[in-house]
Amino acid sequence: MEILEIQDLNVKFTTPIGEVYAVNNASFTLNTNETLALVGETGCGKSVIANTIMRLLPQNAEISGNIFYKGNNLLKISDREMEKTRQQEIAIIFQNPTLSLNPLYKIGDQISEPLFVHKKISKKEAFNKTTKLLKTMGFQNPSKSYEMYPHQLSGGMNQRVILSISLTLNPSIIIADEPTKGLDNELVKDIVEEFKTVNKINNSSLLLITHDLSLARELSDRIIIMYSGDIVEITKTESFFKNPLHPYSKILLNSLPERGFNPPKGNSPSMVNIPKGCKFHPRCPHKKKICSEKIPPIYSIDGGNVRCYLFQ
Amino acid sequence: MLLISVIVDCVSKSYSSGLFSKRYDKILSDISLEITKRKTVGLIGPSGVGKTTLAKIIMGLENPTSGKILIDGTDIWNAPSEERDTSLKKIKMVFQDSQGSLNPKKTIKQSLYDTVNLMGLDASTRESLVLELLDRVGLSSDIFCRYPHQISGGQNQRVALARILLVKPEYVILDEPTSALDIAVQAQILELLNNLQKENNFGYLLISHNIPLIDFMSDEIVVLDKGSIIFRGETKEFTEFNSLKNKNSFKV
Amino acid sequence: MTHHIEELKKLAISKLNLNSIGIIIFLLFLLIAIAAGIISPYNPWQRFEPYTRPNSSHFLGTNDMGNDILSELLFGARVSLIVGFGASIIATILGVTVGIVSGYYRGMMDEILMAITDIYLMIPRIPLIIILAALMRPNFWLIMLLIGFLWWPTTARVVRSSTMQIRDTSFILSAKSLGFSDKHIILSEILPNINHVIIPKFMLTIASAMFSEASISFLGLGDPTMKSWGMMLNFAFMKGGLINEMWWWYLPPGLCIVAVVFSLMLIGFSLEEKENIMLGLE
Repeated sequence: MEILEIQDLNVKFTTPIGEVYAVNNASFTLNTNETLALVGETGCGKSVIANTIMRLLPQNAEISGNIFYKGNNLLKISDREMEKTRQQEIAIIFQNPTLSLNPLYKIGDQISEPLFVHKKISKKEAFNKTTKLLKTMGFQNPSKSYEMYPHQLSGGMNQRVILSISLTLNPSIIIADEPTKGLDNELVKDIVEEFKTVNKINNSSLLLITHDLSLARELSDRIIIMYSGDIVEITKTESFFKNPLHPYSKILLNSLPERGFNPPKGNSPSMVNIPKGCKFHPRCPHKKKICSEKIPPIYSIDGGNVRCYLFQ
Repeated sequence: MLLISVIVDCVSKSYSSGLFSKRYDKILSDISLEITKRKTVGLIGPSGVGKTTLAKIIMGLENPTSGKILIDGTDIWNAPSEERDTSLKKIKMVFQDSQGSLNPKKTIKQSLYDTVNLMGLDASTRESLVLELLDRVGLSSDIFCRYPHQISGGQNQRVALARILLVKPEYVILDEPTSALDIAVQAQILELLNNLQKENNFGYLLISHNIPLIDFMSDEIVVLDKGSIIFRGETKEFTEFNSLKNKNSFKV
Repeated sequence: MTHHIEELKKLAISKLNLNSIGIIIFLLFLLIAIAAGIISPYNPWQRFEPYTRPNSSHFLGTNDMGNDILSELLFGARVSLIVGFGASIIATILGVTVGIVSGYYRGMMDEILMAITDIYLMIPRIPLIIILAALMRPNFWLIMLLIGFLWWPTTARVVRSSTMQIRDTSFILSAKSLGFSDKHIILSEILPNINHVIIPKFMLTIASAMFSEASISFLGLGDPTMKSWGMMLNFAFMKGGLINEMWWWYLPPGLCIVAVVFSLMLIGFSLEEKENIMLGLE
């Protein structure tokens, strides 16, 4: 069952250097209890989608399209309702766990704060709930951890605390925006484990935004590949790694360590100077005449969706 | 002893916790390794283990508490300052934070020209040299008038490499050169690094926490944990070592 | 969050307007100071009938010595601005040097320089100037130097902390590793990146210096041969201008001081604010 549906989303920024088309005609759905990975290079517009869902974009953004959450269009509801949605229905986790926590408060208090504020439950109950949560998140001695401050914990532990905070109100959707950026391998492993635990204890859906294909492989059920503001492929994760459809997906996979770091030709276009037609055509080995003229529509092919004329 | 190499001999480093404090924190203990030309030494270990400190010591930016750094036979902490300076010129460093390794208030052109001026070349050679090197690292001159934040991370790293090529080092320390880059760009930069090594006979010290990357690039691998070396050997041996080891023992 | 940013932007725009108001007022006074010789009706030392009320030949009347007050006021802009700028230039050069040196080199140098800075910060500045001015013959240049040499510590502190922030960034490290000299690194890599803290600080120091000069002169410890606004206030007070309610005598110099200081504050604060907002938006 789908919980979040995004239809024809366009996001445009007006900047001093010109208009930037950050997201074009993006449509996808997020199902209940599913992990959906949104993968792409820096500046491809993946974080813009996350911020659009949360309505956190700056004022110079022009948005069109629909984002339906449980039947409500998140782009149309009032600010008041949106605040409520943000607090209790959709949670977002940003990169850099240590900076996301207030260094002056105990982590337990930071986790239980949303419970006081939004659920108005008693102190004791909140304490119990928090320690229970800490325990499920892998803290050995939850009542001791409750009393600790962020600087006493490692980056990975702090990321767990952040996850716990986002879980306190039982959100239906968790959006994780580059949760592993800048962390080393060991911490990434930890975080993969945490997300798996979260999936078990909570029936929430996860929208994982990352540039790390191996993280997406570990965690996601389906994968969306973005290139320069366009969604170019939506497939099941398993079949993506076996048989990628879009030519860009192929070069992306070939540059992975386990496939020998094969460097692709050319660079992604900058946001202000985007090629006409299919954004990928200047780098594409299979380009045809039509590719440089018209943006290809999305074609469905055995369970996958791909934006490429090869699959016409 | 081979004289054409950078030798790190039993280097230790401790920091005192304050001006008048007697307490010392030991960051590195008895590190020995050797960087030879045309070869890549991979230095791997979890973050906060002192990898960057070691790099700074080799660069002469920080002094070791004990031990020696020999660059082509010159002990840089015991040599006369002139000899020391010529030795240190042979070794340069590429930093992780590619965007941050260029002055944000200067255009790419200014950053590159500053470096050429350092070499004391005249205007005409200067221009052709810069253009040649830009071409070498795969950039065109239309990025000249941009500022570091206006170009991509991969391009920034290429500019940083061009700057290093300008000063013609013999050894290059690469501190997480690709960890801030997208995977496709990472593969491109690694290819560039390999080509540059072949052309210029660079000796590389590659610092990273990314095991596949180190595995792919290095001839010899050194594993650092809690400030000391727990493995040093060829890449083949490392693969065995790594598969034998329980992954948890790598934790800080 | 969206609202937050929107508000910040509105704030930025309103601050920019304040900035331009500040610049207009300040430029006006600068023009007066430069063109005082041309626009002022009389030589400020020329004597007429004393204590005249404002009339058609003397718009602001004359003082006890029979000098034209308007001319005094216009020439006073010159004196006050020179003191302000001079003192602030001295203070900024000293402060930036001390700040960059201790922030960049750290270690023993930093400890010593910061100890000196702390000692300077503890000195009650106005009383010290009063004592020094009373001991020595009050002199215009002396006062400017004294203010300059006493107003640098806050600049030094701000510059030091900004320098420390960027001394460990990779572009400084890479400049070091490429073999650039310390001089090049300080002048060409660090300075342009801390300009944004130095310039507003410079503006605020001018304001502070002008104000201090006025206070000292008002207390009668200024240079009696130089007609600054503070000195005019002093004479108006001493020679019965205030008691006799001769507002045309004591009000204009006071208002001028307030206006210039206010305009400098506006410029300084809005530059500071602009920087903060830019940081906040990123």
